[in-house]
Amino acid sequence: MSLPREPMRRVVVAGGGQLGVIAAIALRRALPATEVVVIGTPPSPAAFADTSVTAMPFTNKLHDRLGIDEEHIVTRAGGSYRLVTRYAGWDGEGPGGVVAYGEALDPALKTAFARDWGAVRLPGAGAPPAGSLAEVLAAAGRFAPPPPGEPTPISSVDYALRWNPAAYRALLIAQAEALGIGYVQGTIDRLEPGEGDAIRAIGIAGQGMIEADLFLDCSGPQASLLAAHPRFAFTDWSATLPTRHVYLAAPAAPVLALEDRLTLTRAGWVSEVAGLDGLYRMLGTPAPLPRAEVEALLGGRAMGAVALTPGRAEAPWIGNIVALGDAAARFEPLGPLHLDLAHRQLALLIEMLPGRDIAPLERDEYNRRSVLMMEGVHEVLAMHFAGPAAQAVFGARDLLGRVAAVIDQFARRGRIPFREELPLLGQEQFALLVALGWSPGLPPAAHAADAAIEARARAAFEAEAQAALAFAPPYDQWLARALQAKASSG
Amino acid sequence: MTAAGVAKLLPGIASVQLVESEEIGIVGVGEATLPHIRGFVEKLGIDEAAFMKATHATYKLGIDFRDFGRIGESYIHPFGSFGEEVAGVGFHHWWLELSRHGMAREIGDYSLAVAAAKANRFRPPAQDDSLASTYGYAYQFDATLFGPFMRDFARGIGVERHEGRVVSVERDGPSGNVTALILADGRRIEGDLFVDCSGFRSILLGQELGEEWEDWTHWLPCDRAAAMPCTHATQDLRPYTTATAMPAGWRWQIPLQHRMGNGYVFSSAHITEEQACEAIIAAAEGTPLADPRILKFRPGRRSRSWSHNVVGVGLASGFLEPLESTSIYLAQMAITYLIELFPVGGTIDPRDRDEFNRLVDMEYDRVRDFLILHYHATTRDDSEFWNHVRTMQVPDSLAGKLELWRRAGRIEKYSDGLFYDASWIAVYVGQGMMPEAHDPRAAMIAPDALVRATERLRMAVTGEVATMPGHRDYLMREAARLAEAA
Repeated sequence: MSLPREPMRRVVVAGGGQLGVIAAIALRRALPATEVVVIGTPPSPAAFADTSVTAMPFTNKLHDRLGIDEEHIVTRAGGSYRLVTRYAGWDGEGPGGVVAYGEALDPALKTAFARDWGAVRLPGAGAPPAGSLAEVLAAAGRFAPPPPGEPTPISSVDYALRWNPAAYRALLIAQAEALGIGYVQGTIDRLEPGEGDAIRAIGIAGQGMIEADLFLDCSGPQASLLAAHPRFAFTDWSATLPTRHVYLAAPAAPVLALEDRLTLTRAGWVSEVAGLDGLYRMLGTPAPLPRAEVEALLGGRAMGAVALTPGRAEAPWIGNIVALGDAAARFEPLGPLHLDLAHRQLALLIEMLPGRDIAPLERDEYNRRSVLMMEGVHEVLAMHFAGPAAQAVFGARDLLGRVAAVIDQFARRGRIPFREELPLLGQEQFALLVALGWSPGLPPAAHAADAAIEARARAAFEAEAQAALAFAPPYDQWLARALQAKASSG
Repeated sequence: MTAAGVAKLLPGIASVQLVESEEIGIVGVGEATLPHIRGFVEKLGIDEAAFMKATHATYKLGIDFRDFGRIGESYIHPFGSFGEEVAGVGFHHWWLELSRHGMAREIGDYSLAVAAAKANRFRPPAQDDSLASTYGYAYQFDATLFGPFMRDFARGIGVERHEGRVVSVERDGPSGNVTALILADGRRIEGDLFVDCSGFRSILLGQELGEEWEDWTHWLPCDRAAAMPCTHATQDLRPYTTATAMPAGWRWQIPLQHRMGNGYVFSSAHITEEQACEAIIAAAEGTPLADPRILKFRPGRRSRSWSHNVVGVGLASGFLEPLESTSIYLAQMAITYLIELFPVGGTIDPRDRDEFNRLVDMEYDRVRDFLILHYHATTRDDSEFWNHVRTMQVPDSLAGKLELWRRAGRIEKYSDGLFYDASWIAVYVGQGMMPEAHDPRAAMIAPDALVRATERLRMAVTGEVATMPGHRDYLMREAARLAEAA
């Protein structure tokens, strides 16, 4: 007879940043009788999952599951919406490209796009046609989150949220407190071994020991718990990911926009995330740069710098320590992948929630999927550095085999091979590769396809775009109303 | 299927020549399929009712496995789910918790596909998110009619058919590529790409190119089938296939519109062909319509399904016994990948060939593990055959999955491949392989509240089944609709 597993008595979360707090909320919600304690370790500027001002659509689903109200993020945490990311410079002199979320396009439209914009693409040609409804809406500055559960002309449009990290963290802390999650401020100074690979307790400097059944390491890249375990090993990604220095700019004036930007410049990449509290900019380079040059590229005052050795934990779950976020994988903040990865790993842990006794095979299964997730991020990032423009800035290097295979299939056939646990859907990868300057080839079926089918798909898309534009309000007006409603309701 | 698929979905890319011989004929057993076949039929633009009429097909909601875990026990592996996930916890964990309190009904009672199958009822699933959408369906058809139906369809869209037997193969010296087939009457059929659909003979991939065969007999010892059709014994038409474990293998019953297909899949190391024929005659529920025929096979797959300019589809590239009706699926899967990776511009890129082989191997290997589970998850010790499969060492890839289930009630997850959570749960639970432990969250709801919730679901399932027409009635209604349309 199958017995329910004995629930964990206490879970300790090391790291009180936005990742640690949401992880604590997720565990406490799953196991209301389990004590959950967050150890507020000193924050690290290199903990990108904690400093991130944005995530991807998966996070919206996680919020939903955990009862974190999206409206509260908008009204209390400076929340705003991103529909697309605009890429510039990655395709050399090309027109760049736009990447949206979701996979709602008619395949015939993708073929038509590949035909118009693929192998026959001429140098100096104009911008590609819009590849998604999100792109049409972003260009027109029209959007409001579609009401859930009711079909509208914009229901297929997926989006990501941005926020002010301090305000967002405060929102999460309020919920954590309401759920009775404990908090201890301090520095972890030792691990006390338990049975086998497990640890029994951790020491907080000057405050004694705290025992737990499970320890979540959300402490950032230093991985205070996992890296201290004798079986910790690190898989280095340096050979395929060339960014070594990340410079952060002081937030500039607020920007209201449905798009963010990733630009390849002569010395590195620049990321710009629009926020209601300011424009967040970062620069990633292969080598250190003088301050004046950094500030010229960032277009503003540099606030900090982070040196980076990219890679991941060989096994993010050892014994009874599970590392999430930067404690599991370190990589450049080229796009909002840090929180997305951390949140997907957290959801996996909650899906596979162990009891007090952890079975080695469930740890193996978690590690298998979690490693697939991390390697998926690795693959997507490495794609950015595969093109000639990026290699001119970051240096030429051998391509990660998986990336070479994807680019080959894309360029010859417009095909995106399926991979488990990748952060991007097929259509998102398709758009990303176009934005990075690769031209899609035609799938075999398209060589003989009926032109009328593609014409119909184009007409249908045009009609959907018009309906979406007619339905969606101007984004600035909608947002102003939403914030005003909050202000007047107190 | 291949000729029709390539001609229909890649029109104008290549001329398709179909070489076949009436002398060789078709393996004439009933054929049960998986829901994927519907996508194929639909993609070719074939009307379902017309297709079903031509192949004397019935609908299929799953497979009824009898005597596998233990003699006298049975379960249905449905094309559908059991219950639903609640608060992020899979239904089977809640069900295991109820079982602990002795309050659970059979897990199949919480599956609409299982309940409808047991009641011999059928209706296509709803296209919304309701309970009525929680299943899929496939067909059971007469393979001797399906082949000619596809051939006629293919010819209708421009495939050129050559009647004749291949007696020799011409190859290009430097590349080793096949350049032409020579037929018995001396005709020479040239091609750039050759698809080997010649079954076990595998005249191109196996005989000519000598692609190595990876043998899986040690895990799947059945190597013969004794097939025999019989009449229907009752008016009831089952919307499911039956697989009954036998002392040296298992036997199928596939209900078609006009007859019942029967066959005993057995291990020739454990019983003789004569014993198998006697057993299938004895087991037939209706009047036999022919003498039993022996089919021989070997489980395994070729190390490469695409080599040089030859692509193997179906038995020419691999074989897994029809325990989970995967034969047509595996052929369809290879055709789909071939169309996706079809050489364009007259040359075959080795990278496409490697990608095809990677995908095909992954599919075969995953199905293989799932089939082995049916034999291994048993307490049967009534014959040498069952003693062997019960105690054999399984592939590492399966051993890990079994241990994960046994210790924590969890399923190894993947999105690619064929069988997902519900299928694994159906077999584990159906064959009495219960885990030691389940999700701690399942114990956080009081058992009586859990009973109330699952009873609501069960009543909804029962209510939905009551509104479905009988399987035979539904088939007749569709036939009438078709006649009217004509």
